[in-house]
Amino acid sequence: MQINADAAAAARPLVFAGFPASSWAFALRVWLAMLLALYVSFWLELESPSSSALTVAILALPTRGQGMEKAGYRLLATAIGVAASIAIAGMFSQTDGLLLAVLGIWIGLCVYAVGMLDGNRAYAASLCCTTVALIAIQQIDSPLQVFPTGVARGAAISVGVLAVALVNEILAAPNYHPALASRIEALHRRVTDLAQDAERGQAPSAPVAASLLHDIAALRPDIASLAAESSVGPTRAAAARSALVDLVSAFSLGRMLAALSATSAPAQNGDDPDQDAAGLIAISRSWLRIEISRKNAQVRSSLDALRAGTRPYRAWHAPLYRSRRIAAEAGARAAIAFTLIAIFFVLAGWPTTELCLSLVAVIIGLGSTSPAPRSFTLVAVMAMPIACVLAGILKYLVFNGVSEFQLLAIGLAPVVIGLALLVSLPSPMLSSLGRLVLVFTLAVLAPTNPQSYDPEVFLLTSFFACLSSVLVFAAQLLLPPLSCGRRIRLLLEEVRRELSRRDSGPARHLAPEEAAFRDAARIEQMVTANGPSAINDQIAGTAMHFFDKADALRRCRAELDRVGQGPLAGAAQAAREALVRRDGGAILASAGALHQAGAPSNLPTSAAIAALIAASAAFMPPQSPTGSSRGTSP
Amino acid sequence: MMNTYRELVIGGVLIAPIVSYAATAMLAFLMLRPLLRFVGFTRFFSNPSLAELSLYVAMFGMLALFF
Repeated sequence: MQINADAAAAARPLVFAGFPASSWAFALRVWLAMLLALYVSFWLELESPSSSALTVAILALPTRGQGMEKAGYRLLATAIGVAASIAIAGMFSQTDGLLLAVLGIWIGLCVYAVGMLDGNRAYAASLCCTTVALIAIQQIDSPLQVFPTGVARGAAISVGVLAVALVNEILAAPNYHPALASRIEALHRRVTDLAQDAERGQAPSAPVAASLLHDIAALRPDIASLAAESSVGPTRAAAARSALVDLVSAFSLGRMLAALSATSAPAQNGDDPDQDAAGLIAISRSWLRIEISRKNAQVRSSLDALRAGTRPYRAWHAPLYRSRRIAAEAGARAAIAFTLIAIFFVLAGWPTTELCLSLVAVIIGLGSTSPAPRSFTLVAVMAMPIACVLAGILKYLVFNGVSEFQLLAIGLAPVVIGLALLVSLPSPMLSSLGRLVLVFTLAVLAPTNPQSYDPEVFLLTSFFACLSSVLVFAAQLLLPPLSCGRRIRLLLEEVRRELSRRDSGPARHLAPEEAAFRDAARIEQMVTANGPSAINDQIAGTAMHFFDKADALRRCRAELDRVGQGPLAGAAQAAREALVRRDGGAILASAGALHQAGAPSNLPTSAAIAALIAASAAFMPPQSPTGSSRGTSP
Repeated sequence: MMNTYRELVIGGVLIAPIVSYAATAMLAFLMLRPLLRFVGFTRFFSNPSLAELSLYVAMFGMLALFF
């Protein structure tokens, strides 16, 4: 979901103080939206005006569609969170340990939901956790206040959302679809280059191929934000989705072609059976070439539809790969970490620790949306003291007792604009740090009308804020989140299990193109779990090998179902049986039989033959030339 | 002309009339979106999103004025 402002408004050469003009425009929009949200909240005399400013800080995204989509999910998640808070406080108030256990379970459930979703949907699931933390946990000793607190938070968030929407509309925040179209175009060039290399029998190395699939599938969550941009947004989103699915399809066809090009040379040197095989490979190669150029044309047509806002030639689904096991493990770990910290507070017996406990839940919830929760917590540990110092400087050196709104606006400007500029940086680490410091500074400063300048409250808030992040970090040291190695192992195990099934498993209702995209999304999760370093050759090789096998099997099943009627029924059934045995030689023989069965009546069998030949290459034992051809460097 | 605003009551909770008007206008606007797409509304304006916002505000204002 990270895109920087200069990517959103492409090719603006104007740079001021090291930041492009688009970043400055973004920072100014954030500041203006925050002032508008605070002004309206003060005017309406809302109970928690700082929540509206926090909403603006959280919705600070460089393009309009992204902000609007996140805003919609924020409102929805707040409603769910308030309902859950009322239910939890109503049923379990005054049950001591049981209430804390229920809160832990709720946090675990939310983190599980985060694992099963992506993009802003995952953020909404984490916000359900945050809302319960800020309403039910903060009012743990006064359950009757849960409902008014929930209503006050909902009202403040609505004001924040409206402020962001209005400022973005009036100041013409850039649309996301031009940036997305240029990113898809760049990916299309990479896929086309791959197909050209495939003609020469060169497949890219497995890490390069995995990284390309990662880059394609990583755009999936961004597409959802197009729907919120304008009345043609849903059409644009459908076009972008079709382009991505076709890109993955073109990529997999390119890999098939590369594998066949590598096998064709030795096959031509043999006796009759080998000459038959060479003939089948030639048919397959020619079909693959036509299919790749057809797919490329479809990608171009979807890109044109994306730019023009018209319907694509076909609306593909781009399914997300969901690993229940990984989500459940992450959820269980989050629930245990929260319960451990809650037990620590119960044993310590400190007063007013509900703020600290609620911040713990907030950090756990937000961290679950990041691929590496421990790194997120580390950034939070760094951000908290910076935020407390900034809030202290603002409160006691800049404002120091003033209560005029104009002075608040001027005083907030350097901090908000500076941190928004940091958010717009391309570095994920600095961008994340900037966003967290902005959010926590506003949370610690807590602008209210009239402003409170009680140093005791400020010091306690700062202390508990810092303590909460340190405690979450300590809990994650004690019970580490899922390591990247274990995450990758679990994903590979799931691929292996799916591949060993007779049907395609959970993807059986999907078209082969959509199922290939689902596999690409799984590889994307592996590469993301691996972190910023390059993925291990062996892991990437295994993942790509499984991708090729699964794709070839699905194509075979689809093509055999298409030709499996009439005179080819027997040959198609024999091919299906060979596929069930996963025997490369038998699959190759069944392709020959299918060719012979179709030749007299001139039936179109080249698609099925190409799929079977690709499957036979994928299932050949590793010592064959096909096996060694996969994963070679270009 | 005096317009009497009635509060919406859901399970004993009073909802301010402005909220129900805003929600109704939003619902109506979302239902109008396919029609806007069909007539090519976005092609008529240099800033289509601002035009859509203005349309929403006009619908909201009309609702508040006449209902």
